[in-house]
Amino acid sequence: MPTIIACFKWVVDEAYIRKGPSGELDFSSVDYKIGEYDRNAIEEAVRLKEASGGSAIAATVGLPEATKGIKDALSRGTDQAYFIADPSFSNLESSQTAAILAEVIRSRIQSYDLIICGEGSSDLYAQQVGPRLAENLGIPCISFVRKIALEGKQVILERRVEEGIEIIAAPTPALVTVLPDINIPRIPGVRDTLTASKKPVVTIKKDELPPISEARLQTIKLTASRMERTCEKFGTDAAEIGRFVGSLRKKGVIR
Amino acid sequence: MAGVWIFAENGEQIRELLHIGRQLAAMMGTTVSVLTSQDRDRARDYIDHGADEIMLLVPLAEDQSPDVYIPLITEEAQKRDPDLILVSATFRGKDMAARIAARLDTGLCSGCMALNFDEESKTLVMERLVYGGAGVQTVTCTTRPATVTVLPGTYEPAIPEAGRRGQVRELPAPAPSAVKVMEKRAKEREARDISEARVVVCVGRGVSKREDIALARQLAEVLEGEIACTRPISEEYHWLPEELCIGLSGAQVKPDLYMGLGVSGQVQHVTGIRNARVIAVVNKDEKAPIFEAADFGIVGDLYDVVPKLIAELEK
Repeated sequence: MPTIIACFKWVVDEAYIRKGPSGELDFSSVDYKIGEYDRNAIEEAVRLKEASGGSAIAATVGLPEATKGIKDALSRGTDQAYFIADPSFSNLESSQTAAILAEVIRSRIQSYDLIICGEGSSDLYAQQVGPRLAENLGIPCISFVRKIALEGKQVILERRVEEGIEIIAAPTPALVTVLPDINIPRIPGVRDTLTASKKPVVTIKKDELPPISEARLQTIKLTASRMERTCEKFGTDAAEIGRFVGSLRKKGVIR
Repeated sequence: MAGVWIFAENGEQIRELLHIGRQLAAMMGTTVSVLTSQDRDRARDYIDHGADEIMLLVPLAEDQSPDVYIPLITEEAQKRDPDLILVSATFRGKDMAARIAARLDTGLCSGCMALNFDEESKTLVMERLVYGGAGVQTVTCTTRPATVTVLPGTYEPAIPEAGRRGQVRELPAPAPSAVKVMEKRAKEREARDISEARVVVCVGRGVSKREDIALARQLAEVLEGEIACTRPISEEYHWLPEELCIGLSGAQVKPDLYMGLGVSGQVQHVTGIRNARVIAVVNKDEKAPIFEAADFGIVGDLYDVVPKLIAELEK
């Protein structure tokens, strides 16, 4: 029976980010969530274990506050969680996150069949943790997958490429990053939340890990992105429709 | 110093990366190398477009995917210590770049949209979008080589120059991978390439039934444009194929005119249209964020407005 690990990130909900007066990003009223794409990873891990009777493990690296995310991931049907937390883990870079996850999976989980990651985090969207984690663990990596079938010691996948779809066979253990269209994540009910609080959580602190290397990318600036648009509004009567079409003609964008 | 290296899946992408690669190499005082599995004739073309060296990869066996080149490219990079590796951000390209960066234990700037060389500090300064497109992050890479993925279409193709010279070097055959390609399926026929369309008509959640997409198609026909959609339309409802979904995780478009119908304007979607010349929208919710991202917006029910627009355009 397979063991499936789903990795996720507890991120700022970008819908609450405001643009500050001098072009900075204003995080003062933000809320947090499990990254959009990571919900698909968790859902897929849970579906696969429900179909095969194995177990699904959720794993995350982040701030101690991400304990809410752990509860959310367990409510979504995973059986247990690995929570690697430290107050200094607020701005980890992909190479660091992947190294920490690899260390914990290698030393604490050891035996597993599949690791599933979202195609990217919904905050930084570097799309690197999955592939880097696979390389750190020395296992096959298949990215941008939209269908997974575990068949004994191998996994059959449909992955998206520019020309269409490729059907891939890979030996397990393997790492897969999934596209958002692979499934529609469930919304946990009250009952799921209650059972979640009884599930085991392994908490790992920074000092239980080997030293973490420096970030490979250094952020030197973070600003709000600019969209310079005229934001002109129109009504729906004949004159307004005429004025709207006239504006498009004036811009030369319609023939 | 072993230069700027370029890897992409097709000739168009290689020529785009040669454009920026050539510029950077000139500032950095170094050379440009292209890694490609295409034939020698293409090598000549890339040299004309700015490459100083072509590293020819052995073409792939039918059941292998380009990931087999990862160990080979890594080894070459370890031997020759390039300054920068530029990779076109296709599905395979993004995957390969992250894995090569992991093997080289170096930084990767994904989805880079501006790439500059600061001559004073001799560092590459790179910009990318974060928070679904709400923010711009400026980064530098602290390790060698800097690796960067660039979305196709970010740069114009390089202009060829007559009389350029370059070397062609053959790399050894890669070891076969345990990961096998069993089958390849081409795109669904309906899916056209919207990234190059001159006009894009995009349907969002404001369109309440699958059949009503016909209305958007009519408008697209009048405007001689292509149809596209937001994420819920392709992913949740499956009304249109995935390839037509615009957004950070979907297609990025740069039409002269983007016309959004019932599109709310989630930041991820807006990121996919930020390079449109003119953004026009129809939405009945005056508070929808799409109006802030639009040049021209009609506040109204699309079922009322679209037929009127079609009539006006046909006048």
